[in-house]
Amino acid sequence: MLNEFSNNTISLFLQKKKKKGSFFNFSLTTFSPNGKLLQIEHALKAVESGATSLGIKASNGVVIVTEKKLPTTLIDENSVKKIQKLNDGIGVIYSGLGPDYRVLISKARKKSQQYFKQYNEIIPVNIISRKVAGIMQEFTQSGGVRPFGVSLLVAGYDHNGPQLFQVDPSGSFWAWKATAIGKNSSNSKKFLEKRYKPDMEIEDAINTAILTLKEGFEGEMDEFNIEVGVITNDKKFRILEPEEVKDYISELNL
Amino acid sequence: MQKGGFNFDLYQRNVELIEKNNYKVPKTTKTGTTIVGVVFSDGVVLGADTRATSGPIVADPNCEKIHRISDYIWCAGAGTAADTENTTGMISLQLELLSLSTGRSPRVRTALTLLKNFLFRYHGYISAALVLGGVDFTGPHLHMIHPHGSTSTLPYISMGSGSLAAMAVLETGYSSKMGEEDAKSLVHQAILSGILNDLGSGGNVDLCVIKHKSMEFFRNIDTTNSKRKFRKKLPYMFKSGSTKILEKEIEEKMRKMEIVNEKENAIEELEEL
Repeated sequence: MLNEFSNNTISLFLQKKKKKGSFFNFSLTTFSPNGKLLQIEHALKAVESGATSLGIKASNGVVIVTEKKLPTTLIDENSVKKIQKLNDGIGVIYSGLGPDYRVLISKARKKSQQYFKQYNEIIPVNIISRKVAGIMQEFTQSGGVRPFGVSLLVAGYDHNGPQLFQVDPSGSFWAWKATAIGKNSSNSKKFLEKRYKPDMEIEDAINTAILTLKEGFEGEMDEFNIEVGVITNDKKFRILEPEEVKDYISELNL
Repeated sequence: MQKGGFNFDLYQRNVELIEKNNYKVPKTTKTGTTIVGVVFSDGVVLGADTRATSGPIVADPNCEKIHRISDYIWCAGAGTAADTENTTGMISLQLELLSLSTGRSPRVRTALTLLKNFLFRYHGYISAALVLGGVDFTGPHLHMIHPHGSTSTLPYISMGSGSLAAMAVLETGYSSKMGEEDAKSLVHQAILSGILNDLGSGGNVDLCVIKHKSMEFFRNIDTTNSKRKFRKKLPYMFKSGSTKILEKEIEEKMRKMEIVNEKENAIEELEEL
């Protein structure tokens, strides 16, 4: 029978062993003389040079789209899935570094299950956005780590209706009616400003989103180099099949 | 502090308390229980009674013993109520994380492995005996899981204190060529047998029919055994004077109200509001 003393020494020993990898006790993200956090600024630059993603909140749903620009035709597009689900009712897209995104999705999914375990309630969209933002902020204030090089667009439908949130490398998050991130974000946002109507329905929003993406698209846009994710009042986030995307694109071309 | 498993630091103290100080060990709420599962041509049927006991008292006459692990994988639990609920709850969360990560709908054998590995770590101290059934992309599956972590795969299963009564019915009625209605009726009869012949089981019959991409939950499909025949009519009326009055004291709490300003149609106005 282990007594408390030997229990504690063994766990301390294990903890010390665990900490062997992280030598840094100090943060690599520090303030510059003019009050900026340069690492975060650089992270935002990484986001700006990433593939365009945009989202539109309609009166009865949310749509998120992204361009799936693969560097060569040799890559199997079926293996690349940029839009991911956090749970049945929330979908996410990003602009920036893909691997960082993967890690965040993994952490976010775990957070949403932990929330369910604690409160027996499906996590609301604003709360998961806040938690993901919290994770991203941790990495701007911890020892030996760098900020995440991604901005996320979180789309969901809960008891507060359809919502679209953006989460930045700094850890700030806020809700949008319609927005774009990544390469052509400023032009896309101008385009959206003109086209957005608050009483827009989801079908309209999907068409507008694909049209906006088309504006800044280099080359020919088809159903294999964009991804579209939609959630409506059935509260089930769905990534559209290529055939459905093809229909929307051909409608726009008419 | 330590990571997982049970903390046995207080074991010696507890032994002393029980032996020397006549300390009464608190009773856990057990699900006395009859739980049953049967495979039929298109899927599985799970059945359970609804009585939860705490010693000789019925703690909950209508509890839910069939738990959701995923949309088409459900699990009936016997043993300690807290253990079955929380174990199935945790494995349900783990399975959802896994299915999101792999992009596939979960398999019954995955739930089985997660449950048995979990229970084995606790060497039987988590008193959860489970009947796990579901339909995944490989077809219908039915398994039984014992508290120590051993599992069996069978076409028909019964567990809990009423398992012998239920198994008698299953052995008589089971056929490998059963359809949905036959299977439902067999499970129903098996649970009823447990309810009638086992003291630890009682209440209503719950049924859960799972087929490919379809699940139907029949909560309280049979309530004939839980209708209380002899019930005193409420409210309790005592004869006037049955309680002896020892002292009487009257306190004036409120002065009489005066009507200062009477409004016509005041009642109609209130109703409009």
